[in-house]
Amino acid sequence: MKFLCVPCDEQMQTQTEGVMPEEKQNIALKFKCPKCDHTIAMLTNKFETEFVSKIGVEMGGGSAVGQGPMSMVSTQLAEGKDELKKAAPKDEELIWTEEAQERIKKVPFFVRNMAKKTVINYAQERGITKIDAALMDEVREKVGM
Amino acid sequence: MKSYEDLAGDGGSNIVEQVVSQQGKLRARLDKIKHKVVLMSGKGGVGKSSVTANIAACLADQGHSVGILDADLNGPSICHLLGVDRNKKLVIDENGVEPGVGHLGVKIMSMDMLLPDPDSPVIWTEDKGASAVWVSTMESTALRELLMDTKWEELDFLLIDMPPGSDRIDNIRDLIPELEGVVEITIPSPVAQHIVSKSITKNTRMGVPVIGLVENMATYVCPHCDQEGKLFEGEDAHGLAKGKGIPYLGKIPFDPRISQKREGLFYTENKDSLTGKAIAELVKNILKFIQNKAK
Repeated sequence: MKFLCVPCDEQMQTQTEGVMPEEKQNIALKFKCPKCDHTIAMLTNKFETEFVSKIGVEMGGGSAVGQGPMSMVSTQLAEGKDELKKAAPKDEELIWTEEAQERIKKVPFFVRNMAKKTVINYAQERGITKIDAALMDEVREKVGM
Repeated sequence: MKSYEDLAGDGGSNIVEQVVSQQGKLRARLDKIKHKVVLMSGKGGVGKSSVTANIAACLADQGHSVGILDADLNGPSICHLLGVDRNKKLVIDENGVEPGVGHLGVKIMSMDMLLPDPDSPVIWTEDKGASAVWVSTMESTALRELLMDTKWEELDFLLIDMPPGSDRIDNIRDLIPELEGVVEITIPSPVAQHIVSKSITKNTRMGVPVIGLVENMATYVCPHCDQEGKLFEGEDAHGLAKGKGIPYLGKIPFDPRISQKREGLFYTENKDSLTGKAIAELVKNILKFIQNKAK
């Protein structure tokens, strides 16, 4: 699926920031026209989300998280061996509280990296080094969808 | 206005590149394995895992290198059957996960190896509201990861022990299009044969090669005097195989020793028993199918 800005006749680009989904089966993805900066959102229902997630790819481009071994199993299994959980690649150096980690784990695999980037960028812009649940609520309220 | 074809790429997600990279990773792993064989049955409780484990033992005993993918994600039993210590720490690096090693060096990957406790179930999320649709998605992806991210290395055979039912064969066929084929397992009972019949029809219609039909627990055999007797009332599975136009690979008598707790596997300890010989005959027929297919 591709999106075209009709007035500019330009392909809209996936925005890797500003995705902060709360519900598992309803995802919002932002697309922006590189010429006029007009932004639209694609909203999916749970069946459309299922379709995208089944391909096993990440929206906004592949990341270290998605390319590591057992990337989905290591992060989505509710109970897994410690070494499996530890093997999940980490792509940032900020401190995430346990509650924040649990909440980010609930974001669907294929948009989790985008959601993480949204939170990390928000925190870094404000000099925050510890990410907790309150900060995630703030992010959702201010930049999320 | 530009059309779909005029737009290069997909706006930054590079989905096609990600899928190609995923397929490349899977191919690199599978290309080192000569033969991939699925063992399945439309019906549960026919002894699929036990037959799979003993076929693996027979192949390994003949000098082949063998692996088993336990595709029964919710009811894994291969680790237990082949003596893999499920408490052993997983060894994971950027190239993948080391498989467990069972009797006779059979390499194994199973959900059992990933769970923290013997009674831990496979739950994909702690969210109680998660839909069945979501769980189905997780299972498909998990199957791909178990296959793609396990360091199988060079193998002569990879056996895939399927869960009961025939729904997961769609996943496996997509992941391993070069499958040698499917071994269908039934028991003599009419109910089992009725359901296995549907499974064979499905595979035939999907174009999945069917190696043949195995009749497990075809008789009861006394471990002391080799006397055979009926275990289940039912029709001869020869008829089912003939009706479906697939080879009848053989019958495996039920020997009570097959279900006893032991250090090794039934086959390796009882090669000369009726059941041991039947397993060897079954393996011979599977190998014959593979050889004929290659011609």
